[in-house]
Amino acid sequence: MFRVAVLGASGFIGSRTVEMLHLGGLAEVRPVVRRVARLARLSRFDLDCRIADGFDPSALSAALRGCDMVVHAIAGDPRTIVGTLAPVYHAAHAGGVRRLIYLSTACVHGQAPAPGTDENSPLRRGQLLSYNTAKVRAERILRRLRRRGDVEVVFLRPGIVFGPRSPWVTNFVTDLLRGQAYMVNEGRGICNSTYVDNLVHAVYRAMTTDGIDGEAFLIGDTEEITWADFYRPFAEALGYDLRDVHRVPPCPAGRIWRERLEALRAARPVQALCSLVPHRVRLAALRSSRTSPWDPPPLPVPRATLEMSLLHQCCYKLPTEKAKRLLGYEPIVSFAEGCRRTIAWLAFVGYPVVEASSWLYSHSLPAALQEATHG
Amino acid sequence: MRVGLVGCGAVSAQYYTPALQALQQSGMLQVVALFDPNPERAATLNRSFPRAARLDRFARLADTGAELAIIASPPRYHAEQTIGALEAGLAVLCEKPMALTVAEGRAMIAAAEAASRVLAVGLLRRFFPATRTIRDALSRGLIGDVVSFSFCEGNDFHWPVASPDFFRKDIAYGGVLLDIGVHALDLLLWWWGQPDEIRYQDDAMGGVEVNCRLQLRFSRGLRGEIRLSREWPLLNEYVIRGTKGWIRWEVNEADRVQIGLAGSRYILDAALYEGDEKQPALLRPAENFHRSFIAQLRNVVAAVRGHEPLCVSGEEGLRSVALIEHCYRHRTCMSMPWLSESEYRRARTLNAS
Repeated sequence: MFRVAVLGASGFIGSRTVEMLHLGGLAEVRPVVRRVARLARLSRFDLDCRIADGFDPSALSAALRGCDMVVHAIAGDPRTIVGTLAPVYHAAHAGGVRRLIYLSTACVHGQAPAPGTDENSPLRRGQLLSYNTAKVRAERILRRLRRRGDVEVVFLRPGIVFGPRSPWVTNFVTDLLRGQAYMVNEGRGICNSTYVDNLVHAVYRAMTTDGIDGEAFLIGDTEEITWADFYRPFAEALGYDLRDVHRVPPCPAGRIWRERLEALRAARPVQALCSLVPHRVRLAALRSSRTSPWDPPPLPVPRATLEMSLLHQCCYKLPTEKAKRLLGYEPIVSFAEGCRRTIAWLAFVGYPVVEASSWLYSHSLPAALQEATHG
Repeated sequence: MRVGLVGCGAVSAQYYTPALQALQQSGMLQVVALFDPNPERAATLNRSFPRAARLDRFARLADTGAELAIIASPPRYHAEQTIGALEAGLAVLCEKPMALTVAEGRAMIAAAEAASRVLAVGLLRRFFPATRTIRDALSRGLIGDVVSFSFCEGNDFHWPVASPDFFRKDIAYGGVLLDIGVHALDLLLWWWGQPDEIRYQDDAMGGVEVNCRLQLRFSRGLRGEIRLSREWPLLNEYVIRGTKGWIRWEVNEADRVQIGLAGSRYILDAALYEGDEKQPALLRPAENFHRSFIAQLRNVVAAVRGHEPLCVSGEEGLRSVALIEHCYRHRTCMSMPWLSESEYRRARTLNAS
């Protein structure tokens, strides 16, 4: 059995990777987290856990020494995405690691990729979302590091990864409970879903398949589903109808600039300048913005973010043929089963699930999914 | 009163230090000694108590003239250090959980009796005005006969622990039940006494439990559930339902409770005040979370002086330890519905081992 270090092991994908590899007896797992408190979730297992910040070369070297494989599942802002790569790669090199599996994202092709997009499509650096640009940069940096180092690199590009603890699910459910859930485009856009177990299965295949150094693979579920299909099981599990979800227009291009200006206005130096405005002027501005006590309480209507606007307008199901051909990847969990497990987890952590499994047999499922569910 | 603080980790830095400083300023006590095997941590706290001696060995505590030892070290040291302090003639306030096992707890109580010294246990929530109000409301039948309860407590873990030992089964002995659950069980025992039946499940798979669930039944037909998590924010509320209404308490809201009366359209969201039994006047806001720490220390000092009864004795502290020990002995594996069948089989094997 080979030994694998999982970086970012306390996160949504990292923790399920540890759980599946360990409980499945697939590998000897060494979880790596950035600080002691992040061990809490992993402490259910008796594992050789290590503490190493992704920016700390010496701590990483100690953590990765003796491992055959490294899974890079560190999440974070663009600085973290890009800045952890060289320290991790060099530590893996020094520690004798054979291969690094990098969890990239399908968003390197944009949130709404053009029809025909596949792994060979060129990646654009200057994308609207800084996350996408950082992930594109990350892949390029790792390719450069590979040219000078011995550690093989494999890139996995999953779509919308969902499952227990997934922000795609918990954010939607939280918004729903607050009356703030929304869909753009009536939820008709394609959701390139990836149940987390399918991604971990791809990780395992990427660790055990020869001759794939430098390759990138799109990873996703078998089923083609829309965003409405994606949200419906979770809404119904909580006793909501998808009709309760706000329909909102996409984020207009002009608002992106307005949002950037808002952020600039809120910045500390700008606020310091604002404080120079006479007190009476500021007070008058504040009074004019107040509502009357006779007004009914406002009903907030959510506004679509740029990211969700683009995702909800996606009209292309990303292909996984290359992963099937070279990795032997085949999704091990259907979308319906993934939803069932995720809903059961929502109940496990106390979300007000009405009935965890009733939606599975409801008429609202697309026929293809009902077939998948009933085998 | 001369006080020695044993263990200079997060709980001492965040809670005991400001509480002790406040009482030191009022002249009630003086911190004379600090002990921690990690000299850096002791040095950090020494800045808050510059006149306190930094001890290199625990055994030197008695030489400092301390009358009260606060044991705030990791739970695995509680028994040894408490007994050591009692045998040296000091009174002790021991942080929760009082001990890892009932046997340890009994030895601590025996040591206190042999030395004729006070042994107090730091179960802070007993000092919250909210939990005291709930106790009064229950005993006076404000919501009628209590039928059921649901205690839900959990968060993404962010306590600034210094060492991975905190999470190791062979060193820490337990997980969320021992750490947070001890509070819930203590309140449960304080409000209703010993349950008749306990069913306990957790998700430990070779390590310590991160999630757990207790189902309890009492002789009067009262049933309820406690759900704890160290990895995910739960509702963080205690709800008690009775025949005439319900009480809801948000975890660690020391000075606030909510009460709903059956048939009423409105809910009472009450901020607590200290008052006078004779006339309905709000004298001053009740103690908040932080000031409850001070109230706890005041009670211990007064009890050591013989001025008032001790609120949480060693015997009281031992009751929740006994329940925890029972739970660990009879643990079964929680349902983890996201696991595949083969994974869950393996999980159950690890949970039972």
